[in-house]
Amino acid sequence: MNILNTVGVAPYMIVSALLFAIGLFGIFASRKNLIVILMSIEMMLLSANLNLITFSSAFGNLTGQVMVMFTLTVAAAESAIGLAIVMVYYRNRHSVEVQDTTMMKG
Amino acid sequence: MTPIASSLFAIAVFAPLGGFLIAGLLGRVIGDNFAKFISILGMIIAVACSWCVLGHLLNSNAGGVTVPLIDWIHAGNFNATWYLRMDMLSVSMLTMVTSVSLLVHIYSIGYMAHDSMPTYRFFAYLSLFTFSMLMLITSDNLIELFFGWEAVGLSSYLLIGYWYTRPSAVAAAIKAFVVNRIADLFFLVGICVLFILSGSVFYDDIFHKIPELAQTQYHLYGYSFQAYEFIALLLFIGAMGKSAQLFLHVWLPDAMEGPTPVSALIHAATMVTAGIFLMARMSPLVEFAPHVKMFIVIIGATTAFFAGTVALAQPDIKKSIAYSTCSQLGYMFVAVGVGAYQVALFHLTTHAFFKALLFLGAGSVIHALHDEQDMFKMGGLYKKLPATCLLMWIGCLALGGIFPFAGYWSKDAILEAAWMFGGSVGHYAWIMTAITAFLTAFYSWRLLFLVFHGKPRDQKIYDHAHESSLVMTLPMCVLATGATIGGIVLAPYYIGVHQVAFWGGAIFNAPSNQIMSLMHHTPYLIAKTPLVLGVLGIIVAFVCYIAVPKIPVAAASGLKGVYQFLLNAWYFDKLYDFIFVRPYLALSKVLWKVGDEEIVQGMPVSIARITNRSAKTVSWTQNGSFALYAFTMAIGLVVVLATFLIYH
Amino acid sequence: MMPIILFYIFATILLLSAVMVVCSRNSVHAALFLVLVFCNASGLFLLAGAEFLAILLIAIYSGAVMILFLFIVMTMQTNLVQLKEGMQSYMPVGFCIAAVLVVELIIVAINWHIDPQIAQASQQPLLQNMSNTQALGALIYTDYILLFQICGLVLLVAMIGAIVLTLRKRPNNRRQVVARQHMREPHQSLEMRSIELNKGVDELGGFLRPKETYFGVSQEDSFGPKPGDKMDITEKRQQMKEQSK
Repeated sequence: MNILNTVGVAPYMIVSALLFAIGLFGIFASRKNLIVILMSIEMMLLSANLNLITFSSAFGNLTGQVMVMFTLTVAAAESAIGLAIVMVYYRNRHSVEVQDTTMMKG
Repeated sequence: MTPIASSLFAIAVFAPLGGFLIAGLLGRVIGDNFAKFISILGMIIAVACSWCVLGHLLNSNAGGVTVPLIDWIHAGNFNATWYLRMDMLSVSMLTMVTSVSLLVHIYSIGYMAHDSMPTYRFFAYLSLFTFSMLMLITSDNLIELFFGWEAVGLSSYLLIGYWYTRPSAVAAAIKAFVVNRIADLFFLVGICVLFILSGSVFYDDIFHKIPELAQTQYHLYGYSFQAYEFIALLLFIGAMGKSAQLFLHVWLPDAMEGPTPVSALIHAATMVTAGIFLMARMSPLVEFAPHVKMFIVIIGATTAFFAGTVALAQPDIKKSIAYSTCSQLGYMFVAVGVGAYQVALFHLTTHAFFKALLFLGAGSVIHALHDEQDMFKMGGLYKKLPATCLLMWIGCLALGGIFPFAGYWSKDAILEAAWMFGGSVGHYAWIMTAITAFLTAFYSWRLLFLVFHGKPRDQKIYDHAHESSLVMTLPMCVLATGATIGGIVLAPYYIGVHQVAFWGGAIFNAPSNQIMSLMHHTPYLIAKTPLVLGVLGIIVAFVCYIAVPKIPVAAASGLKGVYQFLLNAWYFDKLYDFIFVRPYLALSKVLWKVGDEEIVQGMPVSIARITNRSAKTVSWTQNGSFALYAFTMAIGLVVVLATFLIYH
Repeated sequence: MMPIILFYIFATILLLSAVMVVCSRNSVHAALFLVLVFCNASGLFLLAGAEFLAILLIAIYSGAVMILFLFIVMTMQTNLVQLKEGMQSYMPVGFCIAAVLVVELIIVAINWHIDPQIAQASQQPLLQNMSNTQALGALIYTDYILLFQICGLVLLVAMIGAIVLTLRKRPNNRRQVVARQHMREPHQSLEMRSIELNKGVDELGGFLRPKETYFGVSQEDSFGPKPGDKMDITEKRQQMKEQSK
């Protein structure tokens, strides 16, 4: 019943590659909005998850799916922390523009 | 040799050092007078000890003895233990140096009395100077000798520049130091070559090896010459610097910037005689270098003549005497060159008496006239300074070589030796020194007549003149005694019938070198010529400066070129300024402006600038914008992936 | 055939909505498109046979994370229109990098191969007969129990971190020390006064609270000016009274 027997692994990988690239592009393209950057990071993580699941299914090995669970956990934690940081940042600077984030230096 | 004599010998050498250390280091604490007392006490001890040693040595007739002090340098096969060498050469020098130095110390109490600064420093330097010279003459190896040699240079630097607030004194001190360094370099190379050849720096080892190494030859541009010629030449150049021979004499007249007692010390005992001493000490080696001996004779004779002529025209009382020293040193080198080292040392000793006397006398005059040194502003001072006048007369009689004063014996001996040496070189030396004898008498009496006789030229200065105190005249009296009877008493020992027993092998004459006996057989006319010329010089001086004072004025204006030539000391200073100093300064300036400021200093500065700029550039990447950080990360990811793909 | 069509539908919507996430000017729209992305991704997960994770994705992301995003976006009230103005100048660089990355990843995707023996060895026959959820549970609570626990810790830390980051002390926050409040006796907070008839309390300064007890139970610096301060509540009232007159 495995989809991979019919669709194949490569399309999945290409989809995940494109998703990753879009996420990456999003990081640069939306230099003005921190929240969109967080979203882009979520998409990149998702593309990684997609890859893990693809190979898990392809090899009949569930370890990949377990890893996806952990990745999801970490991604959730990351977005929670990230949003908290954005929140604090906004509170202090009244802006979420990426170009204003120039305080990460000594 | 009894241990007591050795101990006394060591005490004589180190007592001045003690005086220097206490007076110099604690002078501020113990007070000026006490410091003076200490340094003079050190000198008194040294003099007493040295006379005891001299007496002992005369009685015991023992040869060279070394007094071990401490281990100094042991490096590989290089060995320089610190010994003191006690033979007649060092002991006679020791006695002379300590005695003269003591007198100068005592004299300085009076001379420096009106100095505005505390004078313990001056006395400490004097003691250091004496100690350096003693170290030099009592050395048992060349390294010790070189130590003393350099220490003498250092202390002369300190003393010439004693009045360090005067720019001219500082310049003179630097000049003396630098000129001596140039000569010392040759000397040092000579020591090195000698060590390479003989494997030792000890005199005894070197002298023992001389016969077997006499055949060693160096080759240069197709010429072969003996190694000993080369070494002797290097050593002689070193001696030329210290003893102010022609071409390296330029520091001596400038050294007159120091206080007058220092000049007395430099000229009589502690510095310029070092060169003569070195030649006498290395006589076993110099004897094997006939060509260098010729060279020494020529340099010595030329220097004697040169300095004699220059002394004629000097208006400055001290410079006139300074050139006279230069001239007399030329005499000594003539004696060295002809192989009559004993005669050189004899003249050295008598010269020490009368030259110290002359300088102290000049100091007395200068002191009396409140630092006026121009002879043409003096005159008629015999009424005001009778004692000084009398003592200066004695000094000039000795310098002029008038019988029976000390100079007569030693100077005549040199001329005889030069004549009997024969050959064109010997005769050249005889003619030059004979002319110089005339010049010597002339400029000496010129000095006397200008200063003490005739009419006062500057009434104001004349009125304020006063005779010096007893503390200044007494040392001069002692020296005057030496200048009067020194020759007649010492001649038999130094050069006469007792000379072989007296020196006890401390000075070496090659078997072929019979000058010491030959010189007593000089033709009568030749032997008496210098005396005649000396008297003639006195008469001419009398005519020129007392009887018809217009003659020198007319001569100076008529022969303006010659006068200027002599006044400027044959333009040596200008020549050196042109040849060495200015190119050197120009080069220094180039190196300073380009080498140092542009390159040496420029490198770190531009490195700093580059660092600064690149850091600024790089710090742009650390601008705190996390967008850029993310961007960089992404590029890194792409690059890593690309690398993986390419090399996979 | 049906799964293939489904795959392409899901994939296409996924990528398009991903592009929309990046390109939309409005952050709220972007967040909503992100929900779409995750829904489609869970569809792909389903097709790949990872039912549990598909549900998980929808539950976590669409349910929790995206709500969080929307909540934040809407809280910030920024001028959403102006957000994207600076985008154009950086676009080419970002596009180039993304394009290079896509090319590289596609090259990897096409060229990858794996040793069949390894593929064979990586099979987990024991889990073959279980449903996906059951198999995951069997793995998580056995082989990966420690990692699973650590995941819990990660979430805990994330929670604490988010609270610490966003918690702030306002000077006028009025917070009480509950224990002290419980310990308080009536006479500490109440003062009995006898007030004459028809007089009111205004002459006494209005209704007053015993200050010392009031400040005694509150957090340090968390309640207004102290009695010694320049402007305490009594004075303020008197001032207001004067103004009204």
